[in-house]
Amino acid sequence: MDLREELKSEIDGKTISYCFSCGMCTGGCPSARLNEKYNPRRILHRAVIEGKIENDIWLCTNCYTCQERCPTKTKVADIISFMRRIYVKEKGIPEFIKPLVTNLQNCGFTAPIGELENKRRERMGLPPMKTNDEIRKIIEKTGGGVK
Amino acid sequence: MKNRYAYFIGCTIPFRASNYDQATKKVAEKLGIELTDLPDAGCCGLYFELINEMTYLSMAARVLSMAEEKKLDLMVLCNGCNGSLYRANKKLKENPELKDKVNEVLAEVGREYKGTIEVKHLIRVLYEDVGIERIREKITNPLTNVKAAAHYGCHLLKPSEEIMFDDPHNPVSLDRLIEVTGAKSVDYYDKQQCCGGYVLAADAKTAYRMTGEKLAHVKAAGADMLITGCPFCNVMYDANQKAAETETGQQYKIPVLHYPQLLALAMGIDAKELGFEQNRVRPDMKLFLKE
Ligand code: SF4
Ligand code: SF4
Repeated sequence: MDLREELKSEIDGKTISYCFSCGMCTGGCPSARLNEKYNPRRILHRAVIEGKIENDIWLCTNCYTCQERCPTKTKVADIISFMRRIYVKEKGIPEFIKPLVTNLQNCGFTAPIGELENKRRERMGLPPMKTNDEIRKIIEKTGGGVK
Repeated sequence: MKNRYAYFIGCTIPFRASNYDQATKKVAEKLGIELTDLPDAGCCGLYFELINEMTYLSMAARVLSMAEEKKLDLMVLCNGCNGSLYRANKKLKENPELKDKVNEVLAEVGREYKGTIEVKHLIRVLYEDVGIERIREKITNPLTNVKAAAHYGCHLLKPSEEIMFDDPHNPVSLDRLIEVTGAKSVDYYDKQQCCGGYVLAADAKTAYRMTGEKLAHVKAAGADMLITGCPFCNVMYDANQKAAETETGQQYKIPVLHYPQLLALAMGIDAKELGFEQNRVRPDMKLFLKE
């Protein structure tokens, strides 16, 4: 599906049409300040004009500063999250997220919580954490996992 | 006063910040809040918000259904879990069709999401449900020597249109919660800035520079410590403070406390029971002693 059509199919994605390119989002964006490769206004602009998504979408911290400040109520951060899901559908899960997903499939946590962690918890008077396979089943059923 | 909650700690806390869990339980006990553990709850689904929406919503609904079974609202300690569970709960309550789809997935693991409970972050529980005045009654060791800087983080407050807690531009809840301990809440530049944790895996350089910026601002304001209400922000500022120093070439030496660690000290709870061995940058414990 064309990216523009795809964005319009979802309630937050639709708000991309409100954007009038003022640049307030980029002005307050911490990632943009620290990394000249990143610019949320350009991400929206590129999607509307060229119908394209590029790798820079992964540099968003999801802090919502842009979305809170946008004068047109464009859901900038939610749109970027939506673009990430579209990216994954087309190109698969990026390498740097795969370990988290693998951990989730194996134990139900994003990090392996084992004896070391539970011993510490015991010393602190806290209950041990239990792994579960329900999350693996949910990931399999919804097709969200590492193939 | 509402005083019973199902208690969800997510992944980061048991992996790297059980001291946050420990201090929260001590504080809850003093305040007469009853917490029901969910030791097999696992992850809230946050990362799947970026991967697959159905996986995300189903994982979140699974956790929500565990609190529903106990007929309790769900208290969370992590901003990430707050954003993920609060928003999934809202979305599913408002979309019966989506709820049905999620329940088809949950049937696979013998669960059902009904939409009968609320999600509340610890900071929100303390500020709204318990209230500053009730907390004040329990302060026996006012921390009058302490100058602390508040870090709210992002998903405690935002997107504000949905979460509707405090003011996303000029929040006061955590500052008030710091002040009730007797400490001074120190203002600093760019207080609402994000910790950068979310881009750590994709671009560590940007993440650590973001972390370092805030630590520099906190130091410049003369604060003795930074106070967090999120384990992930805490890991960025405390455990990763060295990495941020390496990236920026600066030295910060700013201790970072989980908010309930600070509150517990003001309630006269022994520091030995608050897991300070897990705080990487050790605070000067003399600051917390009665004059
Ligand atoms: S602040 Fe809003 S209207 Fe302005 S460029 Fe960004 S998204 Fe567009
Ligand atoms: S949510 Fe992303 S794009 Fe928006 S201000 Fe934060 S880092 Fe920038």
